[in-house]
Amino acid sequence: MSASNDGGPRGWLYERTGVDRVWDALFARKVPEAQGWVSWLYTLGSATLFVFVLQAVTGTLLAMNYVPSPDHAYDSVRYINTSVVMGHYLRGLHHWGASAMVVLVGLHMLRTYFMGAYKYPREGTWMIGVLLLVVVIGFGFTGYLLPWDQKAYWATMVGTNIAGQTPFIGPYLKKIFRGGPEMGAATMTRFYALHVLVLPAIVGALIMGHLFLVVWHGISEPPTRAADADAEKEPGR
Amino acid sequence: MKPWQEAYEKRYKAAKERGRSFFPYAVFKDALVALIVFGVLSYLAIHFGAKLEELADPTDTTYNPRPEWYFLFLFQALKAFPGSLESVAAVVLPGAAILLLIAVPFMDSGPLRHPLNRPFWTALGIFAAGGVATLTFFGLRSPLLNPTQERNPQVMAGKRLFSELNCAYCHRINGKGGKVGPDLAAVAGTRSDDWLKAHFRNPKAVSPGSVMPKLNLLPEEIDDLTAYVQSLGTGGPYSPEAPKLFAADCEVCHTMHGKGADIGPDLSHIGAARERGFIKNYIMNPANTKPDSIMPSFKGQLTGLQIEDLTRYLAHQR
Ligand code: HEM
Repeated sequence: MSASNDGGPRGWLYERTGVDRVWDALFARKVPEAQGWVSWLYTLGSATLFVFVLQAVTGTLLAMNYVPSPDHAYDSVRYINTSVVMGHYLRGLHHWGASAMVVLVGLHMLRTYFMGAYKYPREGTWMIGVLLLVVVIGFGFTGYLLPWDQKAYWATMVGTNIAGQTPFIGPYLKKIFRGGPEMGAATMTRFYALHVLVLPAIVGALIMGHLFLVVWHGISEPPTRAADADAEKEPGR
Repeated sequence: MKPWQEAYEKRYKAAKERGRSFFPYAVFKDALVALIVFGVLSYLAIHFGAKLEELADPTDTTYNPRPEWYFLFLFQALKAFPGSLESVAAVVLPGAAILLLIAVPFMDSGPLRHPLNRPFWTALGIFAAGGVATLTFFGLRSPLLNPTQERNPQVMAGKRLFSELNCAYCHRINGKGGKVGPDLAAVAGTRSDDWLKAHFRNPKAVSPGSVMPKLNLLPEEIDDLTAYVQSLGTGGPYSPEAPKLFAADCEVCHTMHGKGADIGPDLSHIGAARERGFIKNYIMNPANTKPDSIMPSFKGQLTGLQIEDLTRYLAHQR
């Protein structure tokens, strides 16, 4: 029984859900303090997470007016831009959010790289991070085709041609991506399914794992030369 | 666990004890940054929005595929590879980079974390990040393979109508499309705008016995389709002066059917690659279309009639 159970409704809720302990584990935990501007570098991961959530929300709203077929995709995107309430803003947010995602993931990776945050015991966090980077790029690649305008069509033509150059499996990859030998309706439904079903599921699982490890190990302390000097004295490295 | 790892855990625990609660201190900073990011994104979304280009046109081989900006560094790097290796490098290079990234924690595995105590890895990181930034910069500046054309919005609207109305079911353009009606590239320039408009209003009125249906188009749509049809083809016959003009003014740099120099591209088939409006704009002022072109501008050098004549001559080169 939790100590906070005083018989009131709050205690009742805690006893049945354990949200108080979840809160303690996630938010009331202590983290090493970084000083000055360095402490702001630690916000890059959560900023990435924020933009990811924003992409999920704006993407869901866009999907409500979008038609994934070569005959209607272009017009539905035009319709979103011109006629849907706030559609222009929503599409703008999703478009710029995609670039922001790449920028923030890149900066977040640089911060963990230069601070050596990938070292023991956080190797797993880093490796999941690299997979996240790949998935973020995958989102960009599959999303680029969806408006079915000139830029979308030809960039995907080039992209799938490049995938076709992979040693051994290239020709198969190209066929799988395009849904056939040529680009067309099958390519579009395939990219759409990847963009709104497959990649979100993968990225969701990876982010959960990433964040679990961040909380589990605790966020790394800023590296100092003094701490390194101490570590050097340890035998058997 | 190795002794230094145990020592690290101990040191980390102490640092944590000295630290502050995640909520509200870190959460406050995170929320503030998220708010700033949201503000910036909203500004970009409202002021610049997201562009939508013309409808995808699988037959338009003059289009410049531009990758999203974060792929530019890769395309720029690929230019360093000779043609046959380029395509392989396009797959192998990124693949190797990802594997290298995954392996970083195992290659740089000691207890030292400060960037100055890991000179090799710090230098590698700076080199890689700087390299990507430099390549992206040059990628953004590099000229397009096929310079962007200034497209006439009326022509583009007409082109969209052409595909929406499924005109290609009966008509072909330069041999591609249906065979019921005439090739529209051959029609262009041989009929006046007024004739075309009257024809779009009611085909039978100007072309008795035509099987083309009456399309019930709006006046703007008729204007758009007319502009589109007129943009096809060569604009009509050129005068005997045009080839002489070309030999006098252009062959110092360009080749035409084996004659001329190779400072600029061979123009023997330019009419197949470019539409008339593009060619005309290019002759008048190359820098408008391709900023780093070394070709002089001929507007003012030649009269308007001469430029039109030359344009038709080039449009005929298919
Ligand atoms: C969708 C993409 C990602 C999200 C949402 C995300 C989110 C986060 C968050 C919220 C943290 C907490 C601390 C911080 O902000 O620095 C974190 C830590 C971390 N991330 Fe990411 N991350 C992403 C991608 C990456 C990538 C691409 C890498 C590297 C290849 C990476 C490596 C790390 C590491 C090593 C830590 C632990 C840092 C430490 O303990 O000091 N993450 N991530």
